[in-house]
Amino acid sequence: MTDLLFFAICFMALAFLLIIRLIKGPSVADRAVAADSIDVLTDMALILYALYSGRGIYLDIALVTAILGFIGSTLIAKYLEGKL
Amino acid sequence: MKKATFPAILSTAIVCYVFWLLITGQLVSLIQGKPAVQQLLAGLIVSIGVALFSARFFIHENPFYLFNPAKFGSLLAYIPVFLVELTKANIDVAKRALSPRLPVNPGIVKVPVGLESEYGQSMLANSITLTPGTITMDVVEQDEKTYYYIHWIDVASEDPEEAGEAIKGTLERGVRRIWK
Amino acid sequence: MRIVVDILIAFSAFFAFAGVVGMLRMPDSFCRMQSSTNVSTFGVLGVIIGGALYAGFFLGNAEMVVKILLLGVFYIVTSPISGHAIAKGAYRHGVKMTEDAVCDKYGEDME
Repeated sequence: MTDLLFFAICFMALAFLLIIRLIKGPSVADRAVAADSIDVLTDMALILYALYSGRGIYLDIALVTAILGFIGSTLIAKYLEGKL
Repeated sequence: MKKATFPAILSTAIVCYVFWLLITGQLVSLIQGKPAVQQLLAGLIVSIGVALFSARFFIHENPFYLFNPAKFGSLLAYIPVFLVELTKANIDVAKRALSPRLPVNPGIVKVPVGLESEYGQSMLANSITLTPGTITMDVVEQDEKTYYYIHWIDVASEDPEEAGEAIKGTLERGVRRIWK
Repeated sequence: MRIVVDILIAFSAFFAFAGVVGMLRMPDSFCRMQSSTNVSTFGVLGVIIGGALYAGFFLGNAEMVVKILLLGVFYIVTSPISGHAIAKGAYRHGVKMTEDAVCDKYGEDME
């Protein structure tokens, strides 16, 4: 039971490590990619927490963050290309 | 922009409705035999509306192509081929990232593609991007042939044919069995 | 059965770790994108399969299994699209490759 929580904390620690790249990143593309990966890692932690607590509501939150992350990074890409 | 045909709208509406059933958990209660009629009707109306609005962005060719059993079988046969390639590429990139010397050798190569169908081309491009170590950057048509520009983390060869065989040889043979 | 779930999740965490280390160490933007693909394929797949097994066999909740598998399919479908769009957009915006790059056919053909 607690091992799920342990792995969720591991994923969150990896997400916090990526904040270094988010702050330092020399270009906009670096920041966008790092934010996208933070989104993915947070979602994995949410899935593991949903399994730990046995509540399905966290999966809905994970789905919404996944959709928002995809729309956000595609929008940033379109802006970088100069078509917005 | 092309106009939407009736089969395009129908197939988009079916996909939207299946997504609605899965995400609201209606499919499980439908199997258990106690459907909520109101939710089912609301989903049907919303998915038909969405399909009328957005079908022309998604479907440009025959949408029921995969209903042919032979084609669907080769789609299922493509999954293990793709998983093997994915595993190899993942282990390779993880090894590069964790090794102390950081052995990268990046470059952008141009690679010819022998597929004609739009679905096949986009499926191959997505498969290439999904394997770590290669990202498809652009698709161009020159002299009635299609080329991909691919960013490759370890350029073994700059020659288009050899690079194409190394990057997508197995994947393209798998995709060609499904689409023309 | 329980140990299989743990192995799958640990496998996934290892690849996520390799991807994050790669994103922090790689020399230029495009190589960092390659490492981020590492996070969003095998970093996701192990958690999805292990989580679906756990929700099916230990919690007995069919709705959660369906939602977890749906999340997995969503990631597999959308992550290459945004990766492709960001790579192209970054190149058009003027992000340079590292100086050790072997060849750049895209830049040569664009002129």
